[in-house]
Amino acid sequence: MASVFVANLFMGNVESNTSSSLTMTGDATATCWSCGTMRAVHFCSACGKVQPPVPVDYFTFFGLSRKLNLNTALLEREFYELSRKLHPDLCARADKREQEWSLEQSSLLNDAYRTLKDPIKRTEYLLRLEGVELEEQSKAATEKARAAGEIKKQVVPPDLLEEVFELNMQLEELRAQKKLGEDDPALVEEIGRQKLELEEKYESLSEELKKYWDEWDRLPGNATEEGRRKVRDKMVDLLNRRSYIRNLVRDVSEVLEG
Amino acid sequence: MAYSDKVLDHYSNPRNVGSLDKNSSEVGTGLVGAPECGDVMKLQIKVNPQTNVIEDAKFKTFGCGSAIASSSLATEWVKGKTVDEALQIKNTEIVKELSLPPVKIHCSVLAEDAIRAAIHDWKKKQDVAKPATVAAQ
Repeated sequence: MASVFVANLFMGNVESNTSSSLTMTGDATATCWSCGTMRAVHFCSACGKVQPPVPVDYFTFFGLSRKLNLNTALLEREFYELSRKLHPDLCARADKREQEWSLEQSSLLNDAYRTLKDPIKRTEYLLRLEGVELEEQSKAATEKARAAGEIKKQVVPPDLLEEVFELNMQLEELRAQKKLGEDDPALVEEIGRQKLELEEKYESLSEELKKYWDEWDRLPGNATEEGRRKVRDKMVDLLNRRSYIRNLVRDVSEVLEG
Repeated sequence: MAYSDKVLDHYSNPRNVGSLDKNSSEVGTGLVGAPECGDVMKLQIKVNPQTNVIEDAKFKTFGCGSAIASSSLATEWVKGKTVDEALQIKNTEIVKELSLPPVKIHCSVLAEDAIRAAIHDWKKKQDVAKPATVAAQ
């Protein structure tokens, strides 16, 4: 089940141009097509030939385990190293298949690097690999609640929603005042104060998220699904709150500076 | 991405914007949000205690055009329905009516959530209010 999901995730990025290489049998992906040595994900360690892309997740692509704390300096170095080796220009004299593979591998490399170097994107990606559908969580929960005739538990806590709503009301008022050129200094000050609070909250949420990266990375290989889920849920919750506050800070800045 | 005519209509001319007295026993309030886009939506209903018919509905949404249109449409649809009928409204019907593209489906989900949350809030008030009314008589 999990491996099928990973394969789908991978194929989603290169679907259009790798169908032929992905139809290979399992055995064929383990050895180099050219010299038969055990192959790496991207190119053969023995003969250096570019390999056809195989369905792997971005962590595996870089030879990393699914951990959230990672050395980005090392990742960058590895990225440049691989970019150089996989560069399509280097394979200009190779046969057509190899040229295609190097193109596909390079594009995969770029996607993988872009995703993993950013800690938030990395977290979201890992959560998707773990089966969390970040974009679908609202819809799925709504459908479940409807079917069960229950009230859906909001993915965003009510207190935060209340705060977001109230601040938006004040922002609307300030926008209207600004249009008339008569903004109320007290309101500007109040909103400015809230902006500072939000920025602090954003920072502390980011810090808390880091704690859960550590917690995730410390999970033993034989951790129960229950244990993994707990950490995942917490990260999803923190990401949700964080994105709300980020948007709010953005809106506040727009109004205050506008 | 272009908005459909219906979205534009609701967006430029939203129906039932405003608020109802959230402390009234006849009013149910739903406050919901979508973390994906940072939208927040408040939808309120006023229910006739005798007939359970939703007599008035108001909303206030901070979000994109599709979110505003979805909630505007939701208030139009719930008005005149009983609470049980209103619970039958599905987000897919909103998607269809407004021709929302896939990336905006969550706006319709938000509107359905808001309806359900408002009705839930109202029902909770009725459960609490009943014994109190008996005691008062």
